Amino acid sequence: MSLSRINPVNSLLLTLHVTKVRFRILSRYKGWFAFDFIFPIVFAALPILIGVSVAGGPGNAARAFKTNTGTSNYVIYLLIGSIVMMTVETSMWLVGYWLRWEREVGTIESIYLTPARRIQILTGVSLYSGMRSIFTFVGSYTFGCLLFGINPFQGEMLIAMLFLIAGLMPMWGIGFLYGAFILKVREAGSLINILGWGMAFLMGAYYPITVFPVTIQYLALAFPPTWMTNGIRSSLLHLSYFLGAWHWDLGVLVLYSIVMPLIGIWVFTAVEHRIKRNEGVGKF
Amino acid sequence: MEYVIRTENLEKIYISKGKGLFRRKKREVHALKGIDFQVKKGEIFGLLGPNGAGKTTLIKILTTLLLPTSGRARVNGYDVIKEERKVRASIGCMLMGERGLYWKLTGRENLEYFGALYYVPKKRRRERIEYLIELLDLGDFIDRTVETYSSGQKMIVSFAKALINDAPTLFLDEPTIAMDVHAARKLREIVKDLNKQGKTIIYTTHLMHEADELCDRIAIIDKGEIKAIGTPAELKASIRQEGIVRIEGIIPQKALEALRSMGSVEKLAVEEKGGKEHLRIITANSRSALPEIIRVLVENESTLEYISPEEPTLEDVFVKLTGRTLSEDTREINEPEPDKSR
Ligand SMILES: Nc1ncnc2c1ncn2[C@@H]1O[C@H](COP(=O)(O)OP(=O)(O)O)[C@@H](O)[C@H]1O
Ligand SMILES: [Mg+2]
Repeated sequence: MSLSRINPVNSLLLTLHVTKVRFRILSRYKGWFAFDFIFPIVFAALPILIGVSVAGGPGNAARAFKTNTGTSNYVIYLLIGSIVMMTVETSMWLVGYWLRWEREVGTIESIYLTPARRIQILTGVSLYSGMRSIFTFVGSYTFGCLLFGINPFQGEMLIAMLFLIAGLMPMWGIGFLYGAFILKVREAGSLINILGWGMAFLMGAYYPITVFPVTIQYLALAFPPTWMTNGIRSSLLHLSYFLGAWHWDLGVLVLYSIVMPLIGIWVFTAVEHRIKRNEGVGKF
Repeated sequence: MEYVIRTENLEKIYISKGKGLFRRKKREVHALKGIDFQVKKGEIFGLLGPNGAGKTTLIKILTTLLLPTSGRARVNGYDVIKEERKVRASIGCMLMGERGLYWKLTGRENLEYFGALYYVPKKRRRERIEYLIELLDLGDFIDRTVETYSSGQKMIVSFAKALINDAPTLFLDEPTIAMDVHAARKLREIVKDLNKQGKTIIYTTHLMHEADELCDRIAIIDKGEIKAIGTPAELKASIRQEGIVRIEGIIPQKALEALRSMGSVEKLAVEEKGGKEHLRIITANSRSALPEIIRVLVENESTLEYISPEEPTLEDVFVKLTGRTLSEDTREINEPEPDKSR
């Protein structure tokens, strides 16, 4: 008999241990802090400054912005868009990059040698990624508001939080898809970048998606992050929801939250099985 | 008889595609061609074969990292295909040498993490880690991050990782490969001790002296097939009637050809080392063949530096079976160098 005791308590502890270790490893890389907090603000500052200079001063910018979006508060609008975009990108990367990183460091086979259920490990990683995303969001929102001199406490913050959480769940599903892709196609980097930019373009980080032609609007609506951006922004700035009321929009995200992770895990498991049939998960 | 491992006709074919996103021509490597063997409880079982023989592939199937293309195997009574988690919980493995640890974590944190992934309860885990630190003498570096370790230190912590769940069966795939002679000897002593405590050990190596010293039984594996199985003594006895002649010197190609065509030369393996040829010749009878061998070598302009009849070794058994030495690389696709960037 080995010391392994597979039971619910140890399974839960396993998941939490995975989360703890992810944070511990993160804390030993310098610069992650900048990446999490500063990048979203820089990405918001760029369009804000461009907008102001193109419109000819902050006043003109606000007026022009209002006709397009329904709010003159363009700073917070762009800030939220940029932060959501970054949050979406990182939450998607965290699972996929985590896998790629495990492969490169050579630890992936060590993990596959243990009896740990993959879903328990992935939950641990997702928990880490979710906590980090929420932390990033709240941190850079507060910091960004301070920097641009606006009051962060406005609108329906609780509803915005619900949109944030419901928006992250489908991202994990997409993260698993990405992870499966990384297991299968070793040089997945560039394709993923294209996908990432496409999504950033479609989700309307810097503009309402109504600026698109109708067909592209439908395409954009197929992406969960579009709903997340719009939901958070609408709840904080009192703008209109896609389906008229916040609970309908949130409902769509909740649906995505259930469906996307299921699809993600299903595809991941299938790819994993195929790889085991052939060359194995290690690097070769 | 209680068997820890039994396999039935295991086959593995790797299908690899060309590089890039779009498939180019496919390549098939027939890495295992019908492997049948059993390992008894409590023995140290060796898999001896050159690089590319299929040892790692076989170990990966037995440890559930890979699925066989066909055939079946049981480990500790569990089916490697249908009951993979039970197999995994019942074994300890050291497979990719010094790789497989987290560089940004300390050795202890690595052991804690893998202990958790093996579902070892926290208290038992702590005790176990303390015990392993003592047993393997890890105290000096266990609380430093792995990135500061020498490769020998990484190897020994990887070894500790294989012991973390105190499994009754251990799989060690060339565990001494990155170690210096001293560390390797120490690891073999520990393996023997663990075996005395009742652990069954599957040990792969391409070093005949290691297999000879350590293993109760050995399977000689080459190009995906088991060529012979037995205790070291049995294997060597299988060529006892024949004689082994070892020769060193500068020996031209035509001399080698002339030797090969001699009726009394059964097998001839050549290795080049430091500008000299090292020959091992298996003859039907070394005493009567020796004078003729010397004559043929001299007539073909060889410079002889050393010549002597010898006791057969496992290497000779391998030469007899395959016509090659164990140090010859028989891999069909070469693994890229491991990425050491983190
Ligand atoms: N993932 C893989 N894809 C294709 N061929 C492989 C793969 N892994 C190993 N091989 C090939 O299979 C054969 C057996 O390799 P391996 O099991 O690593 O042998 P050993 O461990 O005895 O050196 C070799 O010819 C090797 O090139
Ligand atoms: Mg090998």
